[in-house]
Amino acid sequence: MNLTNGFAFTCPFKTNSGNKALEHLPVELAALNAFKPLIITSRNLTGPRAMRILTGAFGDSGMTMGFFDDVTDTADLNIVEKIREIFVKGQYDSIIALGGGVVVDVAKIVNLAVSQKIADARQLSPATAIRDPLGPFVVIPTAAVTGMETSKYAFLNGKSFDSVHLMPDLVVLDPRLTWTKDGKTIAEAGLAAFGRTLEAYIAPDKNPFMNAYAVTALRFIRENLTDAVNKRCNKKVSLAIANAAAMSGCVISNTDQNVLNRLGQVFQNIVHVHPGVIIGMCLHPFLDDCMKKDSSRISSLLLPLGGDDKYAAMPEAGRAGEALRDIYEFSYEIYRALKGKIPRTITEAGIPQYLMDDIFDVMNHEPDGAYLRSIIDRVSGGSIKA
Amino acid sequence: MREIHAGGKPLKKAYVAVFLWFTGRAIQAAAKVDKEVQKEFDALPDDFTFALGCLPNGPWMIVGKEKGKVKYFGGDLNSRKTHLRLVIKSLDAAFLILSFQESTALATTRNRLMTDGEVPYALSVIRILDIVEVYLLPKIIASLAVKRYPSWWSFGRKLAGRVGVYTRTLLGF
Repeated sequence: MNLTNGFAFTCPFKTNSGNKALEHLPVELAALNAFKPLIITSRNLTGPRAMRILTGAFGDSGMTMGFFDDVTDTADLNIVEKIREIFVKGQYDSIIALGGGVVVDVAKIVNLAVSQKIADARQLSPATAIRDPLGPFVVIPTAAVTGMETSKYAFLNGKSFDSVHLMPDLVVLDPRLTWTKDGKTIAEAGLAAFGRTLEAYIAPDKNPFMNAYAVTALRFIRENLTDAVNKRCNKKVSLAIANAAAMSGCVISNTDQNVLNRLGQVFQNIVHVHPGVIIGMCLHPFLDDCMKKDSSRISSLLLPLGGDDKYAAMPEAGRAGEALRDIYEFSYEIYRALKGKIPRTITEAGIPQYLMDDIFDVMNHEPDGAYLRSIIDRVSGGSIKA
Repeated sequence: MREIHAGGKPLKKAYVAVFLWFTGRAIQAAAKVDKEVQKEFDALPDDFTFALGCLPNGPWMIVGKEKGKVKYFGGDLNSRKTHLRLVIKSLDAAFLILSFQESTALATTRNRLMTDGEVPYALSVIRILDIVEVYLLPKIIASLAVKRYPSWWSFGRKLAGRVGVYTRTLLGF
């Protein structure tokens, strides 16, 4: 880590995590000067149980809240405009996003529209300037997250918004919501967070704050993801994964090294595949390339993944190989536990050639498009023509 | 799209209200029975009043000193000026603490408590509450409620204190 160069790190949100963390929400909203929140969620993606738990958490607060639960995974700016109108007519003063992925992306853009008093949200574009802090915004992730909920990015229908002001003011992680019986859901979230933080951790531009977040997130995932997938009723391990995912959003907002993140994102935008699936696939070829370029960066991974004792016991020359072995073993454990529920190649994912062509078109517009295509080529499983 | 008004939690609220009412009276009683509690109150200002309760709508317990005597002033937060407020962030958090699922120390680490006032006064009040809980509760439950159960107290102190505190609390003097 080079401290002689200046660095910047931004993590503007407060995190409330743990048993009954949701019940503090009325007080936390009052601290943000918010008393009438609009809750944005999805009936299908988030489910009625989460909505029931959230409503119960407001018990005895005397608050009135709006519930919009019609967000779908194909949401666009029309739905943002619809929610903006509801927000303005209902005189709400804050936004709570309950869920993950597209729900939070929609909520971020609604917050942008209502805070900047945009007359028609359909006019919003990635070029829209976001200079001032936005209104109170709370994110309550469930188990089905992508890890980008806490980030400065919002992706909607092919449009990518990017501002530190899009990040939430408060993130509430409650084990009643982060727990799921579905091992695939938690594995996708964990793999997405793992890939992003791993890439940031080995990036040359990392700073001490990013390092602290990345190490913690990597350790949380390494120590808990296998248990979270195998022991599906364990709230403690799923909360650890949710914490790691929240940290990964903060990490990705502070780095330019985001090859895996971009690969995951382009597949999510075009074929609606969870980014964790793609990041999990591309992890090995990406690490192989990093190993060829600079093995010392890979060797540093042994500390968060293998632990202090393993790192200290291993001579420096063997650390990179040991770190890679550890990552391969870890991903093997996850895929074995899932019994084929997460595809390991593009062919297994069943993405047709015409959609792959669209994906390659998008990649071609990236400055390192050729490299991104080469990674996809190696995980295609043979039937995809890059 | 629908609008929902937050409901109530009457059972939890009733439990917390009864607990605070009983504890308030027990503090008044313990100030007369236990020398350590007396000493703590003597170190506080003459008209010192504190409130313990939960946000956003209570219930509350107000206890203070009046003409040198410790008194329980009921549950109306607006009835007196308070020098110190120990605030539990939600009714559910209060229920967790007052049903001994979480100790005061654990609840503090979990960000459930706020102090509005001088911290030294708050520490005095916490010490008083710990002593009162030891008198009111059997050892197995009190151990969950306080950070460290006072095993060094003599049997005579515990027995006489319990009889005194319970009698005065129930009779209200």
